Amino acid sequence: MKEESAILRPLGHTLKYLTLAAGAGIMVFPFIWMIIASLMTAGEIQLRPPVWLPAEPQFSNYSDLAASIPIGRLYFNSIFTSGLIVFGVLLSSSLAGFAFAKYRFPGREFLFYVILATMMIPFFVTLIPVFFIVRQLGWIDTYQGLVVPGLTSAYGIFLMRQFIITLPDELIDAARIDGASELRIYWRIVLPLVKPALATLGTFSFIGSWNAFLWPLLVINSRELMTLPLGINSMKSLYADNTNLLMAGTAVAVIPMLFMFIFLQRYFIQGIALTGLKG
Amino acid sequence: MRRRMLWAYAFVSAPIFALLLFLLGPILFSGWVSLHRWDMLSPVNEMPWRGFSNYVFLLTKDKVFLKSLGNTFLFAIGGVGANTILGLGFALLLNSHIRGRALWRVLYFMPVITAPLALAVMFSFIFDRNFGVVNNIITALGLPRQPFLSGPQQALITLIFIAVYQFVGYYIVIFLAGLQGIPQDYYDAAQVDGAGALQEFRFITLPLLRPVMLFVVVTNTIGALQVFDLVFATTGGAPANSSMTVVLHMYNTAFKFSRMGRASAMAFILFAIIMLITLIQVRLLQDRTYQD
Repeated sequence: MKEESAILRPLGHTLKYLTLAAGAGIMVFPFIWMIIASLMTAGEIQLRPPVWLPAEPQFSNYSDLAASIPIGRLYFNSIFTSGLIVFGVLLSSSLAGFAFAKYRFPGREFLFYVILATMMIPFFVTLIPVFFIVRQLGWIDTYQGLVVPGLTSAYGIFLMRQFIITLPDELIDAARIDGASELRIYWRIVLPLVKPALATLGTFSFIGSWNAFLWPLLVINSRELMTLPLGINSMKSLYADNTNLLMAGTAVAVIPMLFMFIFLQRYFIQGIALTGLKG
Repeated sequence: MRRRMLWAYAFVSAPIFALLLFLLGPILFSGWVSLHRWDMLSPVNEMPWRGFSNYVFLLTKDKVFLKSLGNTFLFAIGGVGANTILGLGFALLLNSHIRGRALWRVLYFMPVITAPLALAVMFSFIFDRNFGVVNNIITALGLPRQPFLSGPQQALITLIFIAVYQFVGYYIVIFLAGLQGIPQDYYDAAQVDGAGALQEFRFITLPLLRPVMLFVVVTNTIGALQVFDLVFATTGGAPANSSMTVVLHMYNTAFKFSRMGRASAMAFILFAIIMLITLIQVRLLQDRTYQD
């Protein structure tokens, strides 16, 4: 590296940036093309020879879309159900993780092995029975059918236990001597100290539930309860001949999340890098 | 002490109950169902016993299943290979002296947080045989129009491309974190000894990256073998099952044709394959620093 000649170095540098830019171009292009196509007329999309930009941006596509698709409802359902799932996963994982990390009780080792074993079960193996159970409970086409099976995560319990076990016992003992209750110790001492882990787990379960498709597809039938991915799926058949509207609908479903990501990217990416290292 | 124990049980009871109800119970039940014939409508205690005939049928007679198994392997091999090479390559680029690292990372990460279903819809249009922008570009260059997702020879490879597009940013971030965890001292020492860039990569970067490599290969393989959303919303397994994958075939068998026993058997075969492959990968890639 150090012996690179004065001529080769700038060349290598340019090549690096060119490679990165080419890759980034491929990454961004589908999003750009989605937006461009969403502003075309249905005719322009099918023109031959093709056009690369709309003659005049058809912003009315978006109002047409809003007139026939309950965008607000889709957003509400996605935010509401993902919010509940993230909250449930954080609460149940941190409580159980705390117990496994800092308490002694008969059966602890055994139960923890059960958690480790369930961590490796892929969703498709349990799909049919869980669908059956949810149906027996009468939860098909309800919020609880969508949310309740996702409220606990074996991986989440494992992750929180790994973090909480690194907290010094003296901290918890000192709080006990001061007369703090177990719940107070959990809320006031443990939770604040594992915020990075909570952020990571929260990010993961949020992305997972926000983008989930197969489970909602099975459980939800009525339009009032559809989440964004289900909405996109139903637009696919609704707008089979109006790709411009389909692209507008997809853009509306995707772009706000991208903005949120760009805003919070530091936390997103730190959290994700963290799990890679903890393995 | 006793009170504390009760608190601990209180903390773990609800999550454990939920895991029993939605994970451990179901996997046992699923195994039971796979030995029966069941349409999910008849009562559970009246399922006709079929022994291992579901498994035998799948592995010897169900051409679609065998085809989907092959497709799923190809999909995983192609995707994991490309993600690992590109992920590490771009992470190395980003780890060198480069301006705007955060911006590059954001751009590469955008597809990762986008719903697979949205990407499937976007790419169905982008790769459309008649109106897709890729064909627009190809024909503008005077080359013949390609079928991509609608071509039996091209559907699977196009799906691999989309899957790599979707996840490579994730693996770049993971590899980058791994690279940044390698102490600079090692490189400094190597340079004192006169090592070149390739030698540094071969003898420092790669060995120290082994745990990260293991994580990437294992998680990516497990994920790829379960692909559903992308295939469901682009090709649906068509044309002529050339892009049919195991989980999509399982979904169809269970929820279109109400053959729960056969679908459960499929799930178990795939589960066994995933565990076997994971085991092999862990054996091959795990840290052998202390054994060599």
